[in-house]
Amino acid sequence: MAVEKVKSEITGKVWKLIAKPGQKLAEEETIILIESMKMEIPVMAPAACTLKRVLVGEGDDVAEGQDLAEIEL
Amino acid sequence: MAFEKHIAEHAQRLAKVKAMGGPAKLKRLSDQGLLNARQRVDYLFDPGSFLEVGEFAVSDRADAKDDTPADGKVTGYGRIDGREAAVVSHDITVKSASSSPINVRKMAHMRRVSQSQGIPLVLLNESSGARIPDTMGAIGTGTLGQDPSQFVRFRENPYVSAVLGPAFGTACWFSMLSDFVVMRKGAQLAISSPRVTSIAINQHIDPEELAGARMHQEVTGKVDFVVDSDQAAIDMVKRFLSYLPSHHNELPPVAAVPAGSDDAARGLLDIVPEDRAKVYDVRKVIAAIADTGSVLPLKEKFARTAVTALGRIEGQTVGFVASNPLIKAGSLDADSCDKITTFLVLCDSFNIPIVLLVDTPGFLIGVEGERKKAPGRVMNFMAALQMCTVPKFSIVMRKSYGQAYLNMGGTRNTDEMLAWYCADVGFMDPNVGVNVVYGVTREKEPERFQQLVDEIRRGSGPYDLASIFAAQKVIDPRESRSVLARLLQVHRKRPSRGIGKHHLGNWPTTF
Repeated sequence: MAVEKVKSEITGKVWKLIAKPGQKLAEEETIILIESMKMEIPVMAPAACTLKRVLVGEGDDVAEGQDLAEIEL
Repeated sequence: MAFEKHIAEHAQRLAKVKAMGGPAKLKRLSDQGLLNARQRVDYLFDPGSFLEVGEFAVSDRADAKDDTPADGKVTGYGRIDGREAAVVSHDITVKSASSSPINVRKMAHMRRVSQSQGIPLVLLNESSGARIPDTMGAIGTGTLGQDPSQFVRFRENPYVSAVLGPAFGTACWFSMLSDFVVMRKGAQLAISSPRVTSIAINQHIDPEELAGARMHQEVTGKVDFVVDSDQAAIDMVKRFLSYLPSHHNELPPVAAVPAGSDDAARGLLDIVPEDRAKVYDVRKVIAAIADTGSVLPLKEKFARTAVTALGRIEGQTVGFVASNPLIKAGSLDADSCDKITTFLVLCDSFNIPIVLLVDTPGFLIGVEGERKKAPGRVMNFMAALQMCTVPKFSIVMRKSYGQAYLNMGGTRNTDEMLAWYCADVGFMDPNVGVNVVYGVTREKEPERFQQLVDEIRRGSGPYDLASIFAAQKVIDPRESRSVLARLLQVHRKRPSRGIGKHHLGNWPTTF
């Protein structure tokens, strides 16, 4: 089981945490919603996985490339 | 019986060719669930259609003549769904399918024949690279490269590669030169093997990191599709070829239209949210516009802000280029430009009309983009689109701003430009524009900010665009498929029988 970090592809603000730690996710299932460029942009699971930890909270500013969550593939 | 001796010798020689690298090596492949080079050829071609050539070629080294059947590369011709194709299938059981002076001659023959006869060249790639000791020393190395056009392509015929094992050296080079690359998980694609690379640079090398399918799928974008088995890879080769003509002076084949293909487009208003703050997956829009089940996305996990996909409308092959609001709001980055440019080269070379679906806030600007030569890549993409001579259509779905408006087919950069009634076109996103033009921010002056946003937004609608005939038509999203289908009937390039000028035929696809 490989643990990977999910990174933000864009600079913005964490708007909503959608998935919960321990939750099994399908590929492209939404983990977090980021507000950027006046849009709600999903951060999605890169592959089928289990969400281990969420590393940010709602309202946090995030930078492109920042670690947002840990998943187990 | 007459010729008895000849018949016996011929049968014996053929049996040796078919025995390949011997039962132990063949068993090792089958134990892993892999096909060998000849099984792959059988799986690729219509039953009974394979005509092998070069089966009696062997190494030119006296000490290797007896253990190099077909010299490690199985070559010949066969039919795929009734259409002729040429194949080079690397036989890993013979000297690791390494490249030698003789088998390189076989490959050159397949290239020449496939080009001159206008048939696709299928490369089933798996090779350790140049053969040792054949290429050692000045004489060995000086023997290489006897064909000065070996790596030149004008895209007269499609090259299609499946990477089915370790693919280094020539197997890697020809994958890079191909119009389509499918890779099996567990295969490796790199200049040199992890072992050679590790020795050369004196560092531990992780094979997956150096040459793995995921790396190519997500980081380099040099692999179009990743699959789990040899069979699935060859199925994908056949599927890709089903969209293409056999050569550049032919139109792509027309497929039957699946029943119900007009239904999904009627649901487009449910796919695209009216609320501009909501994103959606443009792949669903493409699927709704195209014939049912006809969409083949290429490089789907690379540069995901752009989607490039082959598909069909009313049975006719079409290349879809779209920005995807789901990823980075659809803003196009440097890698997206390369991905789109590569796809335009493919479509233009093989007479495939292009449909651009646009919902983008513009090009992603920033330090990283500049470092990745984003401006140059934007211009490569722009020049490629302008040089394409296949029919080109664009649909502005929601946003289309700035230079990206032009790159995505704005005004005269496509033959016909359509806009959905919810389209919004301007020099940049009004929310950014207010700050840039007036120096007003939402945080400090919210009321004035909104007033200025509304002001900028006025005059940026689809009917404004249509009023100067920059858009040829404003349509209901649900009409997208039917209008495109009609335009494809009109835009047939009748004077040249649908054949384009192929200005991009000799463009590289790595920038």
